[in-house]
Amino acid sequence: MEPQCKRRKASESATASWEVCPVLSDELSQDTALLEAYAAPIVNKKETSRLVKELASVYPLPGLRHLKRVRACKASGSAHPLEAIVVDSRGLGEPFLVRIPACPPLTRPQFEQASRHWPTTFHEDKQGSAAGRARGLGAVGAVVVDPQSERVVATGHDCSRGDRPLCHAVMVCIDLVARGQGGGAYEFDEYAACQSSAPPPQSDGPILPPSGDVLDSGRTQTSSAPYICSGYDLYVTREPCVMCAMALVHSRIGRVFYGTGSVDGALGTNEHSCPDEERALHRALAPPGPPPRTPPSGA
Amino acid sequence: MGTKSEGNPARHKDSFQPSSEEIESWMQKAFDMAKEALANGEVPVGCLMVYNNEVLGRGRNEVNETKNATRHAEMVALDQVLGWCCQENRDPKEVFERTVLYVTVEPCIMCAGALRLLNIPLVVYGCRNERFGGCGSVLNISADELPHTGVPFKCISGFRSEEAVELLKSFYKQENPNAPKPKVRKD
Ligand SMILES: [Zn+2]
Ligand SMILES: [Zn+2]
Repeated sequence: MEPQCKRRKASESATASWEVCPVLSDELSQDTALLEAYAAPIVNKKETSRLVKELASVYPLPGLRHLKRVRACKASGSAHPLEAIVVDSRGLGEPFLVRIPACPPLTRPQFEQASRHWPTTFHEDKQGSAAGRARGLGAVGAVVVDPQSERVVATGHDCSRGDRPLCHAVMVCIDLVARGQGGGAYEFDEYAACQSSAPPPQSDGPILPPSGDVLDSGRTQTSSAPYICSGYDLYVTREPCVMCAMALVHSRIGRVFYGTGSVDGALGTNEHSCPDEERALHRALAPPGPPPRTPPSGA
Repeated sequence: MGTKSEGNPARHKDSFQPSSEEIESWMQKAFDMAKEALANGEVPVGCLMVYNNEVLGRGRNEVNETKNATRHAEMVALDQVLGWCCQENRDPKEVFERTVLYVTVEPCIMCAGALRLLNIPLVVYGCRNERFGGCGSVLNISADELPHTGVPFKCISGFRSEEAVELLKSFYKQENPNAPKPKVRKD
């Protein structure tokens, strides 16, 4: 057991360097959450820039930087040309209640949805899955986490369009974990959101001794077999396909949390096809690591 | 040796199949590779991807050097074919649709999924993979109804299977004579 202070240090630095890439399912797939705010008509258009300036200093909107302060209302046949969030007596009419997006949109559909409520800004290329969508990639993101140290080990998104069709988000993450430990088969340098971090120097990484199974082709000659995902958790926005699910088993992942299920999903959704085989897959998944499972809330 | 699963015939436009002579000679090459691997202390699995009588991919396990447990021979070979397509400016889908995988051991569930995703029409293999086999032994990924996971593929199984098993057995014997049978759990 390492001392508590050391561990806290590791997780702090991890937080700082990884904040940029939230690829958790809820954030990426949920509908726009709304807050209530007061808005007011701007009756004199010439006052707009002064009003915006003063509103910003008197009523800054912390956490709402994704919103534009003013919206036009020409389509509605309204008497006033513009409306602004938050009241100010001079030049503003009676305040009224509007519903505004609570969080910055992460994906283009969220952006479009949010913009229907209030004009919203969108920085698409800064987010993992959103960046994937912008490049015409599947909007699936995954994160590998060491639950012990709360360290993010790798983040990746789908990279399967183009000349590497097997690079699903999960496969990307597995390879990035390998890369973080000095291995890896692919380069993901062109994708800023696909990253891995080396294990902290005091740890050798979780390594299991090989099991004694004849046909485990993942087995190797050395005792430090590369089951480098063992003890780690995977969070992925969409249920893994059969290739990815088995890849996680080969990599000895500890637990898998996925967002939405998928028709061909291999970790629970695909019940309609053949219950017998599903049981067989669970059998295959059961040894030697703990069985992958979904979180109780379906997060 | 027998034909395992009929893929959806509508999906293979012209259900091309190599002759038994071709199958025999490519499997001979796959076995040669497996033996070579064994001689070099590697997992004795041989695997070839053949398109139009040409070997485009030739895989062996790269799990050790990449520290990536998914780098099975089949995955490595598939990547080689993709690399060839890129170099020759060929449409991978067109190439894979007419590429046969010859492998001494039944592909695992993961590799079977990958083969489906890339539209491989036919896999010829030696022995069963009782633990992880994805072409009938554990799951039947090759034939299942998985509408979003590529197309089903046909299997010709049991080609010189005893020999393939013996190769694997001798590998694991030489590697670790005291390998404990029960699973080791370290938490
Ligand atoms: Zn996948
Ligand atoms: Zn495999």
